[in-house]
Amino acid sequence: MVDLIWKMGGQAGEGAMVTGRTLGKTFTRGGLNVIGYPEYPSLIRGGHNTYQIRVSDAAINSPLQKIDVVVALNKEGVYFHHANLKDGGALVYDEAIDISKYPIRADIRKCPMPFSKIVAELKALPQMKNTIALGATLALIDYPFEKLESVLADEFRRKGDEIIKQNISVAKAGYDHAKAHFDCGTFKVKVKPVSDKRKILIGGNEAVGMGAIKAGLKLFASYPMTPASTLMHYIAEKEHEFGIVMKHTEDEIAAMNYTVGAGFAGVRAMCSTSGGGFSLKVEAIGLAAESESPVVVYLAQRVGPSTGMPTWTEQADLRFAVHASQGEFLRVILAPGDVNESFALAWKAFNIAEKYQIPVIIMSDKFLGESHFSTDRFDESQVRIERGKIAKNLKPLPQGGRFKRYLLTKDGVSPRPLPGEPNGMHVSSSYEHDETGFSSENFQMRAKMVDKRARKIKQLLAEDIEPPTIHGESMPQSDITIICWGSQKLPALDSLPILKANGIKANVIHFGFVYPLDAKKVKTLLKSANRTVVVENNSTGQFAGILREYVGFKPNFKMLKYDGRQFFPEQIAEEVKKLHDAGWKGKREIRVVEKEDVEYYYPGHYQI
Amino acid sequence: MMTTINEITCNEKPQWCVGCGDFSVLMGIKTAIAELGIAPHETVLVSGIGCCSKSPHYVNTYGFEALHGRSLPVASAIKLANHKLNVIAISGDGDGYGIGVQHFIHIGRRNFDLTYIVCDNQLYGLTTGQASPTTIKGTKSKSTPHGVIETQFNPIASAIVNGATYVARAYAGDLKHMTEIIKGAITHRGFALVDVFQPCVTFNKLNTYQWFQERVYKLQDAGHNTGDKMAALARAWEETNSEYKKVPIGVFYKENRPTYEDELPQLKEKPLVWHDISNVDISKAYAEFE
Repeated sequence: MVDLIWKMGGQAGEGAMVTGRTLGKTFTRGGLNVIGYPEYPSLIRGGHNTYQIRVSDAAINSPLQKIDVVVALNKEGVYFHHANLKDGGALVYDEAIDISKYPIRADIRKCPMPFSKIVAELKALPQMKNTIALGATLALIDYPFEKLESVLADEFRRKGDEIIKQNISVAKAGYDHAKAHFDCGTFKVKVKPVSDKRKILIGGNEAVGMGAIKAGLKLFASYPMTPASTLMHYIAEKEHEFGIVMKHTEDEIAAMNYTVGAGFAGVRAMCSTSGGGFSLKVEAIGLAAESESPVVVYLAQRVGPSTGMPTWTEQADLRFAVHASQGEFLRVILAPGDVNESFALAWKAFNIAEKYQIPVIIMSDKFLGESHFSTDRFDESQVRIERGKIAKNLKPLPQGGRFKRYLLTKDGVSPRPLPGEPNGMHVSSSYEHDETGFSSENFQMRAKMVDKRARKIKQLLAEDIEPPTIHGESMPQSDITIICWGSQKLPALDSLPILKANGIKANVIHFGFVYPLDAKKVKTLLKSANRTVVVENNSTGQFAGILREYVGFKPNFKMLKYDGRQFFPEQIAEEVKKLHDAGWKGKREIRVVEKEDVEYYYPGHYQI
Repeated sequence: MMTTINEITCNEKPQWCVGCGDFSVLMGIKTAIAELGIAPHETVLVSGIGCCSKSPHYVNTYGFEALHGRSLPVASAIKLANHKLNVIAISGDGDGYGIGVQHFIHIGRRNFDLTYIVCDNQLYGLTTGQASPTTIKGTKSKSTPHGVIETQFNPIASAIVNGATYVARAYAGDLKHMTEIIKGAITHRGFALVDVFQPCVTFNKLNTYQWFQERVYKLQDAGHNTGDKMAALARAWEETNSEYKKVPIGVFYKENRPTYEDELPQLKEKPLVWHDISNVDISKAYAEFE
């Protein structure tokens, strides 16, 4: 089995992310599995940026901590990452950097690259040193150079043959230099293509975008906010092709209100944001609920409260989303655990929103949203479009009368004529109302309307809320069951082989449908576990709390991380092993904090 | 197509103070729709929160009573979803120029084909009479017992400066004139603001019908050129510059500019809401990720 970890580090603006994605595609074109993982500060220039690639011929889910090849474009790249190199790993760096002042272990293969010389000789641009480094990387691991050539040709197609040729020639110069100087044959990690079948390499945000487009998204209203913006960019790029209007609104409040208006008018509508923007949207989420207008909100979480750490990841907005807006109303919260689920839950979100005329919130985060994952084309065979009770061909209304848009039905869902439909006139309102939508403060009517909106949950649970998924050993076979929601499925899954290698039998239960929960079914399932640990990217165990409150289930352990990074599989495995070694008698709450001492925002505080 | 006022009148009767200008504005809207022959189901009246924002409940078209300050974003999206609809937003001065002013500032430059009627009674009525952005400096109110310190917000000048293509003011005491202004706004292709001086008979003791009666004059009678932006701005400031001796009403400014919807090729063929979404083909979308 091949499992290579490569990491490029440089200054913001040096292009580590674009270069990393190019390398990722170079591998997916060989039929390999790839994960691309960016880390960066909220700066356009300066600071420190990295992009990590994990490539394997086996199924993989998450980035790992230890690295095989570090490519350092600047001294910070050497300083921050050399210690994470595995035994015999390679440090590819700009020869202009004096590495003698850093305590680099003797086992590390040092590969100085004459970036400036190659750039000057080939009359290339200084930023092309990244591409030179890609060539050197392929030489070290013995991967066919033609794969990189084909990716570069596609990436620079729009810029013309000259630019393509120049990029290929600098990459080749890097490749040749490495072959001539670094004794590549003895480098222990080799990567070979496994097939010619092209996989896709896609980010969680873009996967949500594709799912939404497949579902018939027509209006997307948004205001830029990291880490959700790449979804907005993706939809904007596609709006002409798929007949969608992407409106960058004046603010977050407008974006949410546009979404409600469009949902009322009968098109599938969505907005995207992160926690700060979501804070501004909550009033209009209540408007969607009261007026029973279908809306889909994409919430890509980042570190809070307030501005927090804008480019880092967290799962701390779950309670906020569950309770967002005044009053009590039904909403559905979905939390995809990978890019395939991002695609699937996106199209399902629109069906649920329209079928039940409620707000649906898709919760992702910086980690899943902005990282890139290889996969086969999405499974479109299951896609179905369910628009619910859209009312057409209506009987004439009595003089001065209105359509009963909020008819008190058994299932709680009322017929919905779209504006423009003859004989369907009614008013939809933020005010409590009677069956026609006319404002009413009658106590019995108020109670009936609350009950009507609330009883949609019965059909929702029966038909649309899917159970959690189980991965790894069966429940009775597992000494420990790892419970997670959203993106933390990825490191949780990759902790399983490590645990297995340590003789610990474990499995993972992942919740993609996090709220509301089918209490009975979930309780029966969780009760069948020998013991459980909830793994969450927050400091209070919000989902553990949801399980206790709504399911009446108390997990044995909570494992929490809230330092700005997601869990790494090694960390989960290490902590579970400690519990195991202590006879499952360790403390109930485990807090994991990164040991790596790095500062992406202001490396200037270090003596580098 | 004929539409009668009866057809768009609901059984429910409006509940405003006797003499409230909102009655007049509501009648102006209904008369304009009827006289223009727009079918009831092809109009959407969108409001925020406030006294006049209750209007959608009293007109038998489609209606949406949104949140305080948010009539414009909701109306904009309805227009984008189905640009064949006649979309009218209605707000008060607190709603539209206070809490929701950011939407007002940006909508002009977009030039959506929308009509925006602001019932400007120069205070917050439904919350019992606090000062609003258009309250005259020095006015004492519940929230300004020592007198308003700020100068007035000028919605007409703001709309002109920010790109609105039909900027008008009406006076609720002159229904016939107001109806013509509203008809002009509905038929205008682009964003039309109709700021209506609408005396609050309960809380506004200064800007009464009598106060307006003594001061208003019609721009059309004064030879005003609605195509001249600088002249329009000068008229927009006349009220304060004359220390409230002269208050112009009528169309200040009018311009033909492509609407936002005109600029969207996705809307060329048909409204978004008419698109068939039963089986969207995304097969070509994979290539960029391979």
